[in-house]
Amino acid sequence: MKQAQFRVLYRQFLFRMVDLELLSTSAHGDVSKLLGQIAALLLFVSMLFSLAALNFKGPRPFVEYLLISTNMLAVGLLAVLSWESTFPDRRDVLVLAPLPLRARSIFIAKVAAVASALGLTIGALNALTGIAWPPVLAPDGFIAVLRSYAAYWIAMLGSGTFVFCSVLTVQGLAALLPRRQFLRLSAFLQMAAFCFFLSTYFMNPSPWLPSVWFVGLFNSMTGSPVSAAFAPRALIGLAASILGAATAFLLSYFRTIRKIVEEPDILPGSGGRRWLPRFGDSLATAIVQFSIRTLLRSRQHRVMFAFYVGIGFTFVILFLKTPRAQQDRIAESDAALLFSTVVMMCVWVVGARVVFSMPLALHANWIFRLTEVRGAPKYLAAIRRPLFVLAVAPVWTATAALLFSMWPWWRAAAHLALLGLWGIALAYICLRDFQKIPFTCSYRPGKSYIHMAVLAALGLLLVISIAVRFELQALDDPAKFAVMFAILLVASFCARWAAVTASEEAAVQFEDLEPPAIQGLGLTRDGVMPLGLETEKGV
Amino acid sequence: MLELKNVSKSFSSITAVDHVSFTARAGEVTGYLGPNGSGKSTTMKMITGLMEMTSGAILFEGEPIQRDLLAYKRRMGYVPEEPHLYAHLSGLEYLIMVGQLRDLPAKPTAERIDSLLRLFSLHGDRNVAISSYSKGMRQKVLLSAALLHNPDLLLLDEPFSGLDVGTALVLRSLIQELAARGKVVLFSSHELETVERVCSRVVILHRGKIVADDSIEHLRTLMELPTLESIFSQLAVEQDTTAISREIADVINA
Repeated sequence: MKQAQFRVLYRQFLFRMVDLELLSTSAHGDVSKLLGQIAALLLFVSMLFSLAALNFKGPRPFVEYLLISTNMLAVGLLAVLSWESTFPDRRDVLVLAPLPLRARSIFIAKVAAVASALGLTIGALNALTGIAWPPVLAPDGFIAVLRSYAAYWIAMLGSGTFVFCSVLTVQGLAALLPRRQFLRLSAFLQMAAFCFFLSTYFMNPSPWLPSVWFVGLFNSMTGSPVSAAFAPRALIGLAASILGAATAFLLSYFRTIRKIVEEPDILPGSGGRRWLPRFGDSLATAIVQFSIRTLLRSRQHRVMFAFYVGIGFTFVILFLKTPRAQQDRIAESDAALLFSTVVMMCVWVVGARVVFSMPLALHANWIFRLTEVRGAPKYLAAIRRPLFVLAVAPVWTATAALLFSMWPWWRAAAHLALLGLWGIALAYICLRDFQKIPFTCSYRPGKSYIHMAVLAALGLLLVISIAVRFELQALDDPAKFAVMFAILLVASFCARWAAVTASEEAAVQFEDLEPPAIQGLGLTRDGVMPLGLETEKGV
Repeated sequence: MLELKNVSKSFSSITAVDHVSFTARAGEVTGYLGPNGSGKSTTMKMITGLMEMTSGAILFEGEPIQRDLLAYKRRMGYVPEEPHLYAHLSGLEYLIMVGQLRDLPAKPTAERIDSLLRLFSLHGDRNVAISSYSKGMRQKVLLSAALLHNPDLLLLDEPFSGLDVGTALVLRSLIQELAARGKVVLFSSHELETVERVCSRVVILHRGKIVADDSIEHLRTLMELPTLESIFSQLAVEQDTTAISREIADVINA
């Protein structure tokens, strides 16, 4: 009986680590597809890293550091993404409390589910690297290779557990606050953790970085002296984090669960602090205000957006660390600032556009369908506004504040003009074929082509780095500035024209449609008329 | 006047609504009844324009609603069966958003929202997130949103769900008052006692087909039955309720 209870709870908790609410209503069963995609992504990363082992002649410590810090990054991201599912929430309490279940059964099932998710992530990420790299990193001899295998997996499990348990400890400490404050603080902690994990990943190794401690642990087990002095720090850190997480978990079961139940159903409102300005006509105002409130109040959307902002920071750090940038002392020049602002504009626009596609409370979108009293064109025009308000405007304003305090006004104004055009062009490109009110259309996972997105991002980074070098000269040369301004202006107009034209015949979309079983290739016989129309028009 | 002419809706091979025809007139409350799964909510969704019908026609004041759906939506208010709301918004924010989406003038709408919130006893919690609202409070928000633009056609799908006794009594009188002021009210509910008190006519649906469409008084006389409940049981309830309840008790005792 108890085993059956455990199995049911364990399964539920494990599968609940993925948020089902994001999925399209007609995409039932796609959870496994989504999980499969995540596993495939981890295996893909593992394969890429393991291929590098085939003909490796580089420095060993760099590889050890890279493998361990990648492992810690992946686990860190998992910990942040599963933030709400690691501890019992209100739904768990309300559903499970009336059932004859012991708190201990729930506790053990939850810990087992969390441990499984952690194990699966580490396992998938190191499935191939864990086979390919230990022999390469080992000194000569069969026993040394066996030791290297054991050391590798211990270091990976240890570093992953350290990161995961550290996040749990922080969460547990925050949970000591009154529940309402905890929920508010959680949102900021999650975003901070996201940015922290992404940015520390690209930092140079230093003694205070836990990834260096675990490199030391690995080396001390393989018998190498490199960083071995840091091995005790890894062990102490691991023990402390496990102890912290265990305490946090226990506290959550003895204290937090009771607090959730005792919490009043109605929480006091925040008075008049919810005022927002108008953003055009009443329709645009309704859609923009709804988008702002959703992005500010929805945890999952905020985290997703933070992920893109984190990627932006990562790109900036990566750019500044390239040999060419180091050689040109870019980090100390204006180019760093130009590059950072353009990259941040791009990631904010792209991030906001992606987040807008993810629904919130999908069943509630009937109100938008029912109040569609002004025709699709007006809606589609209003739909574009949130991206400008939530992505282009904040980055532009922050950049303006920064540049006017650092540069002469004419130089700052010139870059702001170009940055504005970058933002407008990119926003319109992103809005092409986007006929959804933000957060109201269902989402069908598995449609995005990650490899294409990575290629597009790399291409965009290349374009930006070239444009920044050109802009650096253009800021001191009016003729070059005029050329650059004209190019971006034309690009913005073209992007706007393409977005507006594409939406002329469209209707507001509330359901992410299944792709057609047969994909039309758009071939034409005479170069003008699509083949299918010939029969319709009796040609 | 709202008219349904041979309206059908099929999902793959299942016919949820089968050639339904009836009329809801201005000035009277039309009850739309049926057991679970009989096609009531599907019909309601087709009347709102949220769902397309497979065949047939829905006319409002003699015009097919699809001819100018936007104009029709401007005149229609709807309370859905399930209280699906954006729970991250407060009650006030939600109603303001509905007013903006319906293109209502800002100042009079704000005053109307304020009055509705006061009358529905929600004013004190107007800035609280809907996620903290009880079922009854959510129902009040839905009712306020449906009434905000003074609609000519009111579609109420289980509007009494979760309401306390006082509010339910107010709503009962309100429905009659709105009908008396010339509005078309189509009212779907499982609470037969309320339907009997509020509605002048009832349409009873069973397995997607209409089995009765008449005034309650006439149905009573015709079927020689004393209450709407007994009429409904005879027309739309196939099971022997006493036998089933006995069987359930036996099952849990076994």
